[in-house]
Amino acid sequence: MKKNIYELKYRYHTGTIAWILHRLSGLALILYLVLHIWVIHNLDNPAGFDKVMAFLNEPLFKVLELGLWGVIIYHAVNGLRIILVDFFGGSREQKKLFWGVVVVGIIMFIAGAVPFVGHLK
Amino acid sequence: MNIKLVAGDAGIKRWFYQRITGIFLVVLLLVHFTIMHFIGSGETNYQTVAPRLASPYWKTFDLAFLVFALYHGMAGLWVVIDDYVHRDGWRIFIYSILVLAGALLLILGTLTIITFSPQALTVKM
Repeated sequence: MKKNIYELKYRYHTGTIAWILHRLSGLALILYLVLHIWVIHNLDNPAGFDKVMAFLNEPLFKVLELGLWGVIIYHAVNGLRIILVDFFGGSREQKKLFWGVVVVGIIMFIAGAVPFVGHLK
Repeated sequence: MNIKLVAGDAGIKRWFYQRITGIFLVVLLLVHFTIMHFIGSGETNYQTVAPRLASPYWKTFDLAFLVFALYHGMAGLWVVIDDYVHRDGWRIFIYSILVLAGALLLILGTLTIITFSPQALTVKM
């Protein structure tokens, strides 16, 4: 049987999953950054800015904001793992480091989620 | 830590800068989230934001944040395109859009920050 040698095949180790999630969270954050720059440019008009912010204070956006915090936490903590692997000889411990990312990430997410939920009316 | 960059290799420079800007972004972002969401009322409106953005220190902070975040995001997107788009024509086309979009966002963001001066709220709340 003929086999396509260019076939894209990923083997799903922890490192692969960490990489895919980093890429997806990064793409989501770029989308958010573009929207953020666009929304904040309304600051040249106080009334317009408050109108937009009132809209963004709806519960739906508050929940999305909490999701944003989760995406940021993953991208930031896993990014620090990448730096440890690349610069500080962390490659031998990369599996343990990945689970470290999961644990630290969950703790940071909850720590940040508490004031978030507290601000919901 | 033993890093040697090979001159003229754009890829390795991008790889290196991505990590440096990443470290800065973690710090800037934690400050940003702490100020915006963790302390204070958590309410974002003109009155709570304007006094901060009027200060030159916060303008500097926001400018650094804007430049680092845009660079980091665009460089990341660059690598993603590099991985999946293999036709030269398409690649150059998408890269051009990327550079243009990045430049426009940089200009828009920079203008928002440096031209900002607080105005009195005259509308009824």
